[in-house]
Amino acid sequence: MNGAELVLKVLQQQGVDTIFGYPGGAIMPIYDAIYHSTVKHYLCRHEQGGAFSAIGYARSSGKVGVCLATSGPGATNLITSLADALLDSVPLVAITGQVSQAVMGSDAFQEIDVLGLSLSVTKHSFMVRNVNELASILQQAFTLARSGRPGPVLVDIPKDVQLAPVAEPEWITPPSQRVSTSLANTAAARQLISAASKPMAYIGGGVHMADALTHLQAFLAESVMPSVTTLKGMGSVARDNVHYLGMLGMHGTQAANLAVQQCDLLVCLGARFDDRVTGNLQKFAPDAKVIHLDIDPAEINKVRFADCALLGDMKQILPAITTPTQCDAWLAHCQQLKQQHGWRYDHPGEKIYAPLLLKQLSERMPDNSVVCCDVGQHQMWVAQHMRFNSPRNHLSSGGLGTMGFGLPAAIGAKLARPQDTVLAVSGDGSFMMNVQELGTIKRFRLPVKIVLIDNQRLGMVKQWQQLFFNERYSETDLSDNPDFVALAAAFAIPGHTITRKDEVAGALEAMFTWPGPYLLHVRIDETENVWPLVPPGAANQDMMTETN
Amino acid sequence: MQHTLTITTSNEATVVERLLQVTRYRGYKLAGLELKPLTDRAGMRITLQVQSDKPIALLTSQLVKLYDVQQLELASAAVAALRA
Repeated sequence: MNGAELVLKVLQQQGVDTIFGYPGGAIMPIYDAIYHSTVKHYLCRHEQGGAFSAIGYARSSGKVGVCLATSGPGATNLITSLADALLDSVPLVAITGQVSQAVMGSDAFQEIDVLGLSLSVTKHSFMVRNVNELASILQQAFTLARSGRPGPVLVDIPKDVQLAPVAEPEWITPPSQRVSTSLANTAAARQLISAASKPMAYIGGGVHMADALTHLQAFLAESVMPSVTTLKGMGSVARDNVHYLGMLGMHGTQAANLAVQQCDLLVCLGARFDDRVTGNLQKFAPDAKVIHLDIDPAEINKVRFADCALLGDMKQILPAITTPTQCDAWLAHCQQLKQQHGWRYDHPGEKIYAPLLLKQLSERMPDNSVVCCDVGQHQMWVAQHMRFNSPRNHLSSGGLGTMGFGLPAAIGAKLARPQDTVLAVSGDGSFMMNVQELGTIKRFRLPVKIVLIDNQRLGMVKQWQQLFFNERYSETDLSDNPDFVALAAAFAIPGHTITRKDEVAGALEAMFTWPGPYLLHVRIDETENVWPLVPPGAANQDMMTETN
Repeated sequence: MQHTLTITTSNEATVVERLLQVTRYRGYKLAGLELKPLTDRAGMRITLQVQSDKPIALLTSQLVKLYDVQQLELASAAVAALRA
């Protein structure tokens, strides 16, 4: 066996059966090993697309995603995806080929220092210098990717290491890293909760990553407090929980933002006080004490001081801090906010109103469908107007906000969960960022449903230009977009364009009943904006709405 | 304010650049760097002097997470964080 064949053995030993990638010179030995392997490789059309597919696979399944790239440009094309996985805490192992050690450091063909380049966008990056260390390093990479706060790990393997002979190692399953949990502060947390008259749970992506959703439901049911979620936390709270107020932050619901600003205790569960959540940090939840649960000690006090910090496994901590609250008046007030500031869908005119379209899509899609977003106005509309029963069903590039995420992520999600419907909801700007992945959908006949919301603009940037840059619309006009239906047809994907509200129901029906991939091209009015909006520098209660 | 961090690391080629990357990115100015191989085991003792008005815990909590960092001590503060 050589090093390349050992790579495939380790993947199998780690339970990996699906990988994404793109071949090239320095990784040819591994692709030669793939030729006879039972590990299924999905050839993408760009390394960034491959890595986003691996991320979509990981986020929709909870498994580690794996992607491959060659040296030089193949490896540099991974960088954005690694950064995306780092900021959204996605377990990802990226394997890159490197030029042979004999020529390393000589600016050889397709040589770049990917180890150095990748350090700041990974949990850790390894270079394998000796084939005898290969299995151990790869095992460490998988352990590291999934342990603690998950994240991306890169393993750079020179070509000579891939070709070097090696004996099959004795497989030793490395012990899973135990999460160190301290229950020392749980009594203090219970005291804060029972003393609060206006408590609020602020739920991030860390809860489902800790596999603690049932513990969360029990905590919310027994402690009885209203809750809000971040973009990544959406789907964590049961849809029938009457005390759930929606997403908070820049484009959050008014009820969520107003209630958080008024609360006297914020119970932060696996979230990190991101600036898109807090608005003006000094004015964020000004009267609230904070309980912060997280697995990453570096998040405690990083942005907002925690009166009580609880570190470790949320499955252990949540039951330990569950305690009854006495806040009936507060619960009633939050209900009132929710009713007072509900969404309205009675938009005048015949043109398609994206929020209503997405509400209809949400109601029509099968239960447990996965929705993969791109980035921009449509992403916020999806978060506002679609409903999810698990964070694994809503894949959105949160921390990095990477346009081009949605289509390849949907490919990965469809391969992870072939039994579930998978939708890519994109905008006309984002769609073109990784449009080459239509080729991957075609090749593998993946029945991904694409809803392309097209306002012929870079809508979110245009919205900010309108509001904050005196309507100077610099470089946001995309009115020369291609014919998207014809573009899909070039990849043997049928499609249809709609422009009027009365076409929506029929078009959704046609899309869902078509057995294969489908593109629904939705033309919307370029003047529509995302509301509400917390303007830069403002406190979250000072939301701009369509009417003010 | 200046702080002195004594960091025990594995002897990997990327250790120093990673420490310096995190120090820079988190907004701390490098004021001194000393590096010594450990004679009794494969590792290094790195002394970092950094300046910033930010609380030093915001840097140490990030450094101690790094894969190659085994131990971090903050001089004069009697605080030591041992890698879990």
